[in-house]
Amino acid sequence: MSRLARWFRGGRYLSPGAGTLLLLPFALVMALAFVYPLFDLLSQGLFAPKFTTVHYQRVFDQPVYLRILWRTLMTAVSVTVLCLILGFPVAYLLARLQGFKAAVVAACILLPLWSSVLVRTYAWVVMLRREGLVNSGLQSLGLIDAPLKLLYTEGAVLIAMAHVLLPFVVLPIYGTLKNIPPDYERAALVMGARRFQVFREVVLPLSMPGVASGSLMVFLTAIGFYVTPALIGGPQQMMISTLISQQVRELLNWPFASALVGVMLVVVLGIAAVFNRAIGIDRLTGGKA
Amino acid sequence: MRGVSVGIERLKVAYGPVTAVNDVSLDIAPGEFLALLGPSGSGKTTILMTLAGFEHPSAGRILIGSDDVTTRPTNQRNIGMVFQRYSLFPHMSVRDNVAFPLKMRGVAKAERARLAEAALAKVRLAEFAGRMPAQLSGGQQQRVALARAIVYEPRVLLMDEPLSALDKNLREEMQLEILRLKEQLGITVVFVTHDQQEALTMADRVAVLSNGQLQQLGSPRDLYEAPANRFVAGFVGEMNFLEVGVLRSGGDGAAVRLPGGAEAVLPQGQIAGSPSGAQAVLAVRPERLVPVADGGVPVAVEQVVYSGATVLLVARSDDGTEIRARIGTHAGLAPLARGDRIRLGWAPEAARLFA
Amino acid sequence: MTAAIPVVHRKPLDAGRLVLNAYVYGVLLFILLPLVIIIPMSFSPREFLEFPPSGFTLRWYGEYLGDRRWQDATLLSLKVAVLTSIVATAIGTLTAYALARGRSVFAGLIRLMIVGPIVVPHIALAIALYLIFQRLDLVGTLTGFVAAHVVLALPFVIFTVAAALSRVDADLECAAMVCGASRLSAFRHVTLPMITPAVVSSALFAFIISFDEPVISFFVSSIRQRSLPRRLFEDIEFSLTPIIPAIATLLTLLSVVVLVAAWVLQRHEQRRREGAAKS
Repeated sequence: MSRLARWFRGGRYLSPGAGTLLLLPFALVMALAFVYPLFDLLSQGLFAPKFTTVHYQRVFDQPVYLRILWRTLMTAVSVTVLCLILGFPVAYLLARLQGFKAAVVAACILLPLWSSVLVRTYAWVVMLRREGLVNSGLQSLGLIDAPLKLLYTEGAVLIAMAHVLLPFVVLPIYGTLKNIPPDYERAALVMGARRFQVFREVVLPLSMPGVASGSLMVFLTAIGFYVTPALIGGPQQMMISTLISQQVRELLNWPFASALVGVMLVVVLGIAAVFNRAIGIDRLTGGKA
Repeated sequence: MRGVSVGIERLKVAYGPVTAVNDVSLDIAPGEFLALLGPSGSGKTTILMTLAGFEHPSAGRILIGSDDVTTRPTNQRNIGMVFQRYSLFPHMSVRDNVAFPLKMRGVAKAERARLAEAALAKVRLAEFAGRMPAQLSGGQQQRVALARAIVYEPRVLLMDEPLSALDKNLREEMQLEILRLKEQLGITVVFVTHDQQEALTMADRVAVLSNGQLQQLGSPRDLYEAPANRFVAGFVGEMNFLEVGVLRSGGDGAAVRLPGGAEAVLPQGQIAGSPSGAQAVLAVRPERLVPVADGGVPVAVEQVVYSGATVLLVARSDDGTEIRARIGTHAGLAPLARGDRIRLGWAPEAARLFA
Repeated sequence: MTAAIPVVHRKPLDAGRLVLNAYVYGVLLFILLPLVIIIPMSFSPREFLEFPPSGFTLRWYGEYLGDRRWQDATLLSLKVAVLTSIVATAIGTLTAYALARGRSVFAGLIRLMIVGPIVVPHIALAIALYLIFQRLDLVGTLTGFVAAHVVLALPFVIFTVAAALSRVDADLECAAMVCGASRLSAFRHVTLPMITPAVVSSALFAFIISFDEPVISFFVSSIRQRSLPRRLFEDIEFSLTPIIPAIATLLTLLSVVVLVAAWVLQRHEQRRREGAAKS
């Protein structure tokens, strides 16, 4: 039997040849439209045309850029914490609901997830504008005399980002909570634990994988988030993605933009790699749902 | 319809460094019912999968009739197969499931329906043709799977632990059903099971496997009464093993010293291997043991369990070996209690010696 | 002493649970409020945004549909989304199938590449593609848009189809092959019908991922060829008429339609897997 024939001999599983052929289109698309462009971009910041680190040095030498990096990280952390505080109880209740109620709550989470980020950001612009809903509401209630500056503030960016990213934290936590057999909680109750103790000793530890993957998802997305900070934040709230966009679109400074992307990717991939070691990256998207 | 012979010649299946099946040869006669019996990991399922074409031999040949099918893809082997979990197509009706092999063979639609109904009638499920698989019980689903496997009159029927998912009563009913069909069709059957009772009751011959190697191939009676080695003796049925000292051995038999000091003589026909060393193992089935006045092995009774037709005696010899005896309730056994000391003996032809 | 068996007919009022419920409904309100406020605004007869609207008109929907600029942007986004959906679903289904039923030595690498577009920030991919598209003259072209969006949609298609495949017993294809089917016809007659609902819903999700995608569109579109999200992005800061709420309402409606369709399909798949309801 020739090697070629063996290569295409299947059995219980696809033949190695067929398996490889079926994976080929995916590999081609990803190589051409993902891997190669990213490498090409990164090489812009490292070769001019000889190897250089000046662009990377510039990121770390200038306080302006360091401040933006720091702000980006802090914003991502704050948004993640905010999402957990808002999202965990929702996931907890959703995991306990049945039938129609569960469907309604799930729809409230899924609809934002699959509706346009632009639309949701726009809604916040409308609400937070100087003459927007929040200001006019507060004014008509007599709580304030003059409209507050809400848009282009840090608080606005945080709230809008948390709003957009909230579903990413609810769904994985819901997934892990739903998979805890009710017997565990019953067993803990039988053994004399009070309801809060059951939560702290049984439910919370078991939901940790979901908490971790939800947090990671929010954190990673927040670091590279473009739309919401660009529309809701002002120059004072500039984050790294807006800086990158500015370098490319206004200053045409590709090497420096490339260095910024390089720094961002090192942070993001580093965190993802640590997460992968600890929990497994498959969980990011719910894994085998 | 007649079955054909199946030949497995020096089969070896290896996955990298792991050898799942090592140098196994089997000749299965046309119309024979052969059971592949062994614990999990013994290679029995791998052999069946190789027959079906789902696994590929590293060495050796597979013959179906006179055709060498070693490298032929599954769909061209013209075999029937019943899977452990029925594997009915859940989106097709029972009729469409049974007609599927005919569809793949290009049989016209009306003819397909007729043959499918006929096959369903053979497993006595004709009135269920319009149902979906999920609407049937486990036993019914397995009968549909059987109908699907025989509808195109294959030459060989492979069965991969087909009854293991059924409960005990249903299992016995299905055993009879399969035997009835096999008689009716004259088809060759290769049947994988880890249940030795099932293998003994159903098969014409049983191939016992362990660690990828063939331990013994023989009729159920051979296996039970003349196990070829210690593994077969222990795996098929219940067995007591006694450590014995070899006193002398020669061309005509051997004499051994039993625990407790008595001497026993075994003819060559009851000896497996050549007892060259000083130690050997003597095997006796629990139902062949009886209390005796002298000779045999002295034991202390530990448990007496009454179970209807027999009494199970759990005892321990002086060297610490646990010995079990099953004695007929009406054999005139004196009442025994924990701690009683008795001697257990056996008819000379009941023991076998393993070197 | 035996304790009396308490007869409980209804659960006692539970303060903890009440607080939890109130909190969760508060969060849900926070999630839905912005979406809910946009919708009535789109029916306002005034030339500026007001809430609550002082009347009812469909004028802004008419203006959106009648405006050449919005028409072009919508048409471009539709074309891109349909093509993205077709290409990503086809490639993603093949990939998920090969991973589920094959034992390729490249599987590990492929799995790593699948999470790539999820982990790598879109802004990074957007400017990387912008750079290369400039060189290849693909900026603002259908090919450029579709290539970029296929990369974004593939992980979702693959995960959706892989989840469905993991619910289909691999022995079914083996059974089909014993019955005489080739691998291809086993897939066509047995596996494909069972995963069709998941494949269709992944196509819907791929469509909406592309149709709504703002970041990469923002960079790879040109002056002539602007997608709907890019046009929205640019107009959000300047346009003060209710035309944007009208478009936002339509986009949200589209999301609802896709979600409901996906839900119906999932139910269908489940029922198919568990066998049709007893007749």
